Amino acid sequence: MPILNSVYRHREAGKTLTALADYRAAGGFKALEHALGEMEADDLQYAFVRSGLRGRGGAGFPMGRKASFLPKDSKLPKYVVCNADESEPGTFKDREIMEMNPFQLLEGLALAGFAIGAARGYIYIRGEYEHQARILDAAVLAAREAGFLGTNILRSGFDYDITVYRGAGAYICGEETALLESLEGKRGQPRLKPPFPAVAGLYGSPTLINNVETLAALPPIVTNGADWYLSMGTEKSPGTKLFSISGHVVKPGNYEVVLGDTTLRELIYEHAGGLREGRRVKAVWVGGSSVPVIGEEHLDVPLDYESLQGVGTALGSGGCIVMDDSGCIVRACLRLATFYRHESCGKCSPCREGTSWFERILQRMVDGEGRMEDFDLLESLFRRVSGKTLCPLADGAIAPIRSAITLFRDDFIRVCQEGSPRPDPMLPATVG
Amino acid sequence: MDADQIRAHLDPIRHEFADPRSLVMPALKFAQTEKGHLTREDMAAVAEATGYSPSFVESVASFYDRLYTRPVGNRVVSVCITLSCMLRGSDEVWEALCEHEGVDHHHGGTSADGRITIQEAQCLGYCDRGACIQVDAEETQGPFTPEEAVKLVEELREAPTPAELWR
Ligand SMILES: Cc1cc2nc3c(=O)[nH]c(=O)nc-3n(C[C@H](O)[C@H](O)[C@H](O)COP(=O)(O)O)c2cc1C
Ligand code: SF4
Ligand code: FES
Repeated sequence: MPILNSVYRHREAGKTLTALADYRAAGGFKALEHALGEMEADDLQYAFVRSGLRGRGGAGFPMGRKASFLPKDSKLPKYVVCNADESEPGTFKDREIMEMNPFQLLEGLALAGFAIGAARGYIYIRGEYEHQARILDAAVLAAREAGFLGTNILRSGFDYDITVYRGAGAYICGEETALLESLEGKRGQPRLKPPFPAVAGLYGSPTLINNVETLAALPPIVTNGADWYLSMGTEKSPGTKLFSISGHVVKPGNYEVVLGDTTLRELIYEHAGGLREGRRVKAVWVGGSSVPVIGEEHLDVPLDYESLQGVGTALGSGGCIVMDDSGCIVRACLRLATFYRHESCGKCSPCREGTSWFERILQRMVDGEGRMEDFDLLESLFRRVSGKTLCPLADGAIAPIRSAITLFRDDFIRVCQEGSPRPDPMLPATVG
Repeated sequence: MDADQIRAHLDPIRHEFADPRSLVMPALKFAQTEKGHLTREDMAAVAEATGYSPSFVESVASFYDRLYTRPVGNRVVSVCITLSCMLRGSDEVWEALCEHEGVDHHHGGTSADGRITIQEAQCLGYCDRGACIQVDAEETQGPFTPEEAVKLVEELREAPTPAELWR
């Protein structure tokens, strides 16, 4: 299926839209003008609900429904927070939007702000994206000067501004309540839910939190109508999604596909240029690293929420990591285990201790010192950690390892006995 | 850095936050621009400027990878070692850099002349350009072969430090 670059305007325009004039020429800020001039906040919220847009940060929760959870009668100020922490391994789609099309994100944040009656919007961006944060800073200034942010926006009486807040390097700050803690100037450790952020979020106020890609989809939905968005994709997965694809593919990058329209095989072989000569797909983590891994037998799965769930994995963030048959699955699992051990915030002991055990056991397997009992040991650890933690990070650490052991048991047994020498990587020179 | 300098940095953004505690992170990041890392005095100055206790400020600083509570070299070279980059040769890049700078192959570290710190990073969000490297807080670059990465640090060793960049 062809790529459809219809939602994110820089893709449609085929160029960077960091200058306000270029974004305007591509249809930018028409949605905000229309909404502020002719729509009630409730109508706008209803349009979000009807579009069926699902959150693109990982969980896939319907965006409009989440917005409708904010209390209407609260005396407290309300906030919109954009989750731009993008740290899920394999994911780099939000980076593209912020780098090439910052105004569409700002317009989406302003629309979301108007729909819920927010006092301010925050973009929490990971500290490593300083370059992108500066692009956003400049865009906020330009949008404010042009009257799209600030007091009495477009003479509508709506006051709203946006703050770009930089993190300082912590994956866990992508989890929404850890993000709020961090934005409040504390250590980024998740909060117990409920209360959910919609009720008690930033500074205890009702807060709507959405991913960059989710918010940036709002302006075209308002301009073209919810029906237009619904007409793309499947019933449960409307619209388009940006997939980041990386690892052992010839043309890594971001591709916008209509959900349900493209198969994983097409994404890998047609859009991402396939693999090196003579190589076959060994393992794919379709939705970032926190999802169960799948193998070659599922390459014909359509890319949408329900089909991916049907083959035992998840769409997640859309960060698709591909490993060919030159790679070692046990080493890949070890690398992910190291990631989660490093990123565990340490608040719950099952996660803090568990992730470090996963790493230790996989390390001895890779070193050829694994024992057959290690399989049972890992499984019993998974059972004791899974579902017993404050946030889903621990389950995200388990999913790729547990699924790999099931799917590639023979490889694990061989590695346990013989160890695994480091395979040759795919170097840039291979790509040319 | 002293509390007055930090206050002056915070004053223009103070109104953006309903709770002044949110200023702790911007204050820490600003304080770090002076020496490249945060000394206890810097953290005490942040505490004074924001009105929170030094131990609270230190606990916040210690949580984040990119707030350094120990000295770092003039340039901090962060090598992504997460899965996508590993498949594209980040281990080879990492080892070449550690070897070249004479630092520990497991933990990285700072070269003897104090110019270069080599540290591991988790996924930098540039997996399409793996193996990738971030220098200080500049835009992440890639893809690198081990030889190209060594060339990069050799250039950095000679280049002046961009003091205005947060690291
Ligand atoms: C450990 C962990 C890390 C996460 N990282 C991110 C992230 O980097 N970016 C993001 O948008 N959502 C991330 N999420 C999901 C958020 O908690 C939240 O669901 C999301 O921001 C909601 O926005 P959405 O509905 O638009 O997807 C993470 C969740 C967990 C548990
Ligand atoms: S599950 Fe892990 S990351 Fe999440 S709160 Fe508990 S310790 Fe922190
Ligand atoms: S894995 Fe290295 S940048 Fe994502």
